[in-house]
Amino acid sequence: MGYVFEGLLHTLIITVIAALIGLVLGFIVALVKISAENNKYMKIPAIICQIYTTVFRGTPVALQLFIMVFAVFAIPGFKPYAAILTFGINSGAYVSESIRAGISSVDRGQLEAGRALGLTWNKTMIKIIMPQAIKNIIPAIGNEIIALLKETSIIGMIGATAGTLTFDLNAASETIYKSVPNFLACGLIVGAFYLAIVYLLTFVIKIIEKRLRASDKR
Amino acid sequence: MISVKNIFKNFDKLEVLKGVSCEIQKGERVVLIGPSGSGKSTLLRCMNLLEEPTYGEVWLESDLLTSIDPYLHLDIIRLSKTYKELFSQRKEANPQMSDEEIDSYLISEIKEKDLLKKHEGKEYKKAIKELEKKNRVDINLARRDMGMVFQHFNLFNNLTVIDNLTLTPVTLGLKTKEEAEKTAMELLKRIGLSDKRDEYPAKLSGGQKQRIAIVRALAMNPKVMLFDEPTSALDPEMVGEVLDLIKELADEGMTMVIVTHEMGFAKEVGTRVLFMDNGKIAEEGTPSEVFDNPKNPRTIQFLKAVL
Repeated sequence: MGYVFEGLLHTLIITVIAALIGLVLGFIVALVKISAENNKYMKIPAIICQIYTTVFRGTPVALQLFIMVFAVFAIPGFKPYAAILTFGINSGAYVSESIRAGISSVDRGQLEAGRALGLTWNKTMIKIIMPQAIKNIIPAIGNEIIALLKETSIIGMIGATAGTLTFDLNAASETIYKSVPNFLACGLIVGAFYLAIVYLLTFVIKIIEKRLRASDKR
Repeated sequence: MISVKNIFKNFDKLEVLKGVSCEIQKGERVVLIGPSGSGKSTLLRCMNLLEEPTYGEVWLESDLLTSIDPYLHLDIIRLSKTYKELFSQRKEANPQMSDEEIDSYLISEIKEKDLLKKHEGKEYKKAIKELEKKNRVDINLARRDMGMVFQHFNLFNNLTVIDNLTLTPVTLGLKTKEEAEKTAMELLKRIGLSDKRDEYPAKLSGGQKQRIAIVRALAMNPKVMLFDEPTSALDPEMVGEVLDLIKELADEGMTMVIVTHEMGFAKEVGTRVLFMDNGKIAEEGTPSEVFDNPKNPRTIQFLKAVL
């Protein structure tokens, strides 16, 4: 069972770091894309961001993992970090789209009302648009983190070495086969752990959502 | 107060405004009427630059809100390469004509055929820059003086009523929180909604929302109020309360531009009526002139249909 807990810990570490990278990157990319509609100097950065989201959402993450680990960052000992970076960058592409969609779902009249009163575009975004957009963004990002958690299970594809971060929960299922020589049992044990974390995450997101919806009550 | 000079507005290929000019004087209450799609809302939105005119200029008193439109400045046209080249060509071809004659022909030709290009030489560019530097103001500053009321109210959904009124003055550093709240409460009292101060907009009726939207604009002490179909999205029983508030403001001497479909209200509150049709001002005059004695056949047809 020690292997399972080690794997679980590694899965959590990979997910948390990748999610943080994804959130920061996604937020920046979304801001660049949104501000391009108001600022002509952001047009070219916005095109670069668009290429980034298109490429990373349009190709399999397993392929990205191989390219990053064995080509771009083919540095000895850097394997797990290259993998985490890949998950983070991949996740950032999805997060940026969730944030962008959340912002554009806010009624255009809200922006116009702020601007018509004399608020700048930035101030209107911060005080009016973002607080409303966040309600649409949080559930989408929650889904993205759940997907990311499960996606990290492919890290074994680059070779899971016990004792390093590449040895995740999924890899543990193969290792414990030695002591529990039953594939179904191994799968069920590890699956139960994945399910438990996802369930916990869902629960947390629901609570956050509920709080954010306070101003919608009629 | 507001001068609109020969503005055109295109949305991609669709021409919505096709050369509109008008002056709004202090204390005037100008009502814009016309069939839907005639460009009246677009004209209003061009006044505070929620829509940027494709050509033409908008001025608020002595402040330029748009960029310079070279076609409106003859001295700038004369500095352009196009003008200089054409001038020497014409001069050679028509030696009998005086310089003044050639000039006036050329100016009207350049205007008519839209001959000015993007790059017209250093002198031309410099003249435009100088003129803009002298007259153009930050649009965010100008908008503080122009209150706007929308068809769909557009109260900030994430803020309570009182915060809707105080956010802008406080954020812009015009008032302290206490001052802003005091003004806001006075305004809410005036419209009889002070008990709603801590409600979110979702809990209010359409009429209440629109009255709060009006006082939110008033909290900035604007010099002029722009109303974009303020009653079109309201249930019929709530139209009255909103119109009454606008009438009150009118009686206090507020300068207003109102886009509306309420003809009775337009006639009662307006000091001048502009009838728009197909992107142009087709007829204008006092309410009695336009409503009781319209001259343009399009006006007659429109009034027949709505009255």
